Amino acid sequence: MNLIVIGLNHRSAPVEVRERLAFAEGRLGEATRALLNAAPLHEAAILSTCNRVEIYGLANNATEATKAARRFLHDHHKLADSIDAYLYEHHDHECIQHLLEVACGLDSMVLGETEILGQVKDAYHAAQQAGATGVVLNRLFQKAFSAAKHIRSSTAITRGSTSVGTVAVDLAGKIFGKLGKCTVMVIGTGEISGVTARALQSRGAGTILVCSRTHDRAEALATQLQGRAISFDQWPAEFPVVDIVISSTAAPHPIVTREKLIPLMKARHQRPLFLIDIAVPRDIERACGELESVYLYDIDDLEQIARENMTAREREIAACQVLIAQHRQRFATWLESNRAALEERYRNHVVAARPPKPAHTHVS
Amino acid sequence: MTDRTVLWLAQAFYAVSCVLTLRRLRAGGSGATLQRLNYAAMAAGFALHTFFLYLRGQSDGRCPLTNLFETQAFIAWAAVLFFLLIGPSYRVSFLGAFTAPLVLLICLAVLILPIDVVQAQPATRSAWVEFHAAIAILASGAFALAFVTGVMYLRQERQLKRRQLSSSFLLLPSIEQLDLIHYRLLIMGFVMLTAGMIGGLVSYHIVGHWTTPKIIWAVSVWLLYGALVLARGLWTLRGRKVALASMASFVFMLAGFWGVSLLWP
Repeated sequence: MNLIVIGLNHRSAPVEVRERLAFAEGRLGEATRALLNAAPLHEAAILSTCNRVEIYGLANNATEATKAARRFLHDHHKLADSIDAYLYEHHDHECIQHLLEVACGLDSMVLGETEILGQVKDAYHAAQQAGATGVVLNRLFQKAFSAAKHIRSSTAITRGSTSVGTVAVDLAGKIFGKLGKCTVMVIGTGEISGVTARALQSRGAGTILVCSRTHDRAEALATQLQGRAISFDQWPAEFPVVDIVISSTAAPHPIVTREKLIPLMKARHQRPLFLIDIAVPRDIERACGELESVYLYDIDDLEQIARENMTAREREIAACQVLIAQHRQRFATWLESNRAALEERYRNHVVAARPPKPAHTHVS
Repeated sequence: MTDRTVLWLAQAFYAVSCVLTLRRLRAGGSGATLQRLNYAAMAAGFALHTFFLYLRGQSDGRCPLTNLFETQAFIAWAAVLFFLLIGPSYRVSFLGAFTAPLVLLICLAVLILPIDVVQAQPATRSAWVEFHAAIAILASGAFALAFVTGVMYLRQERQLKRRQLSSSFLLLPSIEQLDLIHYRLLIMGFVMLTAGMIGGLVSYHIVGHWTTPKIIWAVSVWLLYGALVLARGLWTLRGRKVALASMASFVFMLAGFWGVSLLWP
């Protein structure tokens, strides 16, 4: 009896291939049942995200089962070409190891990202609801969730933001604490400024003001962010209420200078001011950062912090692997000691998918 | 077991708290268990510390503020009291990390130095005298914690300014939160100090005993903190400058305490 995983991810396959193999979120249960009918698997679960598609299963005969699973992927998505070159497969210990790595974000494109754990949970619940999991996969997934939780809390693998937008949000949090009372001003309507403003908003930033030389573009971004567009000349007038400035204009010369800022800081009682300059050439004079209570970060600063955080995460991989090995070993030991009973249970018996529950699923 | 042994035992718990903090920093600050353990260690230290003050009060037959050793131990106790009250209610992570070393430093200094000597006490006793001294000491405890939040503020502010973020950066509170707690501690301390000063005036009328250097020192501390609270309230001083001024005031207060007590016992 073998545990198997077969699939592809962002490293093994380009996005054109991954998107063709992706399973629609609402139809995972249905697909899992189709898989159980198509392949000699006792238990199965399908994980499908934008970066990976993987089939986990328990089989009597690994070779037959993986062959059938490959065929299933191919047929289910009605592909014309062979996808074998993009697929990897792992058995038993390696399969446990792989699921643990995936759940902890070690196998993710952004090392240590935490979204994947939720996606693995969704995949498991879909399979469970479809009646496709049993003693072994139930336990394997549960153990993977608790291992991920353990590894997250006892290593620094998820610590520190690794993108410009989230680094800016972290910094804003360390200046203002809760962002609910913060007003954000976006000067210029570049893509990164939109992303950064949205990131701040998702952390609760209060009001958003958008100004641009082109008023229409300011209006468009303001509508997207549910903020208010102001005319370009108006920004100094609005300044006393602003806490965070995101600047990304195409202006050749600095827009915010030390001279302009000194009286504005007085007007705002020297309240902390967070200046995020993502324009090249820069919009905000570097000397502004020397003023009391002014915190200035340009794109290089933010990118460097993101890189340092990523390096720090990479240094944690070894510590994660030690813990993963412990969890893997524990599961493997359980599986080994129950092997005889499980084999007895599954002898000559391929679990047919349970009849669909009318409330949740549809007959395929 | 003497009361001093009890105070030594309390230090052991504060030291445990310091070690737990280091472990928590190394674990990346997550670890709610470590945080609870740390709080428990501080609370256990505080309980022993309180027991020490009780034993000392019993043997003194009055509020244990009869010499420099006792007053400093009392100030450290008040600082822990404010930490235990403020740390959890404002959810200030790592406030204990900065409080424990300061408390440990003060207590170890007074335990090691030969300053625990019996001093002649004024013959006339009055509840006012003890109220005056006790509330002034509580005020010092608030100022000690203001000092601690000031240190944390400067650390965070410096990292933000220099754009060099250490691994502990994300674990410490935001500068605005620290600034606000700092201000509230200053107000609390100042109100209590003012009450202590009024108590001092009343007790002077009853006891009729005073030393000029002590009064000069007390009035300057009161003026200093009064000016600081006012300046922060009116926004003339903010952030870094308030933190620096508060830290300097605390050092002045503590140094003055030692100076006055040792030179004019």
